[in-house]
Amino acid sequence: MKSLISMLLFELICFSSYGQQKDELSDPEVASVAVVANQIDISYAEIALKKSKNNEILEFANRMITDHNVVIKQAVDLVTKLSVTPKDNAISKSLVEDAEKINKKLLKAKKKKFDNIYIDNEVAYHKAVIAAVKNLLIPESDNMELKELLEAVLPALEAHLEHAEMVQKQL
Amino acid sequence: MNFLKKKKILLFVTVVIGFGISMVAQNAPKKHIVEIKKMKFIPAEINVKKGDTVVWINKEFFPHDVTDQKTKAWGSGPFGQNETWSKVITKNENYFCNLHKVMKGIIKIKK
Repeated sequence: MKSLISMLLFELICFSSYGQQKDELSDPEVASVAVVANQIDISYAEIALKKSKNNEILEFANRMITDHNVVIKQAVDLVTKLSVTPKDNAISKSLVEDAEKINKKLLKAKKKKFDNIYIDNEVAYHKAVIAAVKNLLIPESDNMELKELLEAVLPALEAHLEHAEMVQKQL
Repeated sequence: MNFLKKKKILLFVTVVIGFGISMVAQNAPKKHIVEIKKMKFIPAEINVKKGDTVVWINKEFFPHDVTDQKTKAWGSGPFGQNETWSKVITKNENYFCNLHKVMKGIIKIKK
């Protein structure tokens, strides 16, 4: 599990560096990565709601579902307004592939270990996404409204990370 | 009573009434605004007089709430963007957002 999280983190950091050098992510591609990143955390939270009995985990997971759905709605409203169609790309596809592997691990995890595996993944995932938003998606955005949306989401991601770390300590 | 005396009395009464109105206005309960944005209560710490009202305004698209931190004795319930919730303050309060527990605020009564 740790190796999968590390791989995801490594890929996001590498793609962050790639983006800075090449400046090749278009706004539709940025939008796609942003939406996919939110959808992935929702998928992890949905598994947590099925498998965990811990109130702190369940509360956290419900928060992830609500907040990340709010972000997706904001992103969809914006791309609709801008007549932009999110475009799949190497980064978004890689995120989805890795997330599928993590989902399988979460589903297979034994109940005793699930809570720790889930929250450890949440801490690592939010760190990776924060780095990607700061170092890749925001710099790569050309449209000001898209950039502003990503900047508005960043404090929420940081609050989620802080909350995840708080739950991690409590377990 | 001559005209000058009447004028002095009138002036005196006007000053006294004006001073009284000013005192009443100064002691009237006030409204204090706390904005919720970037996952923070701004200002995070606020000093008010007993009986003043604090009004929280949610300036972002995430839902938030305002809840008593110690015992959850009072709370606003979730409210959305540009919605507000207010509370008359009678004692020191430590509060937080029960949806985003890392968001915290303090209200202190001025002595």
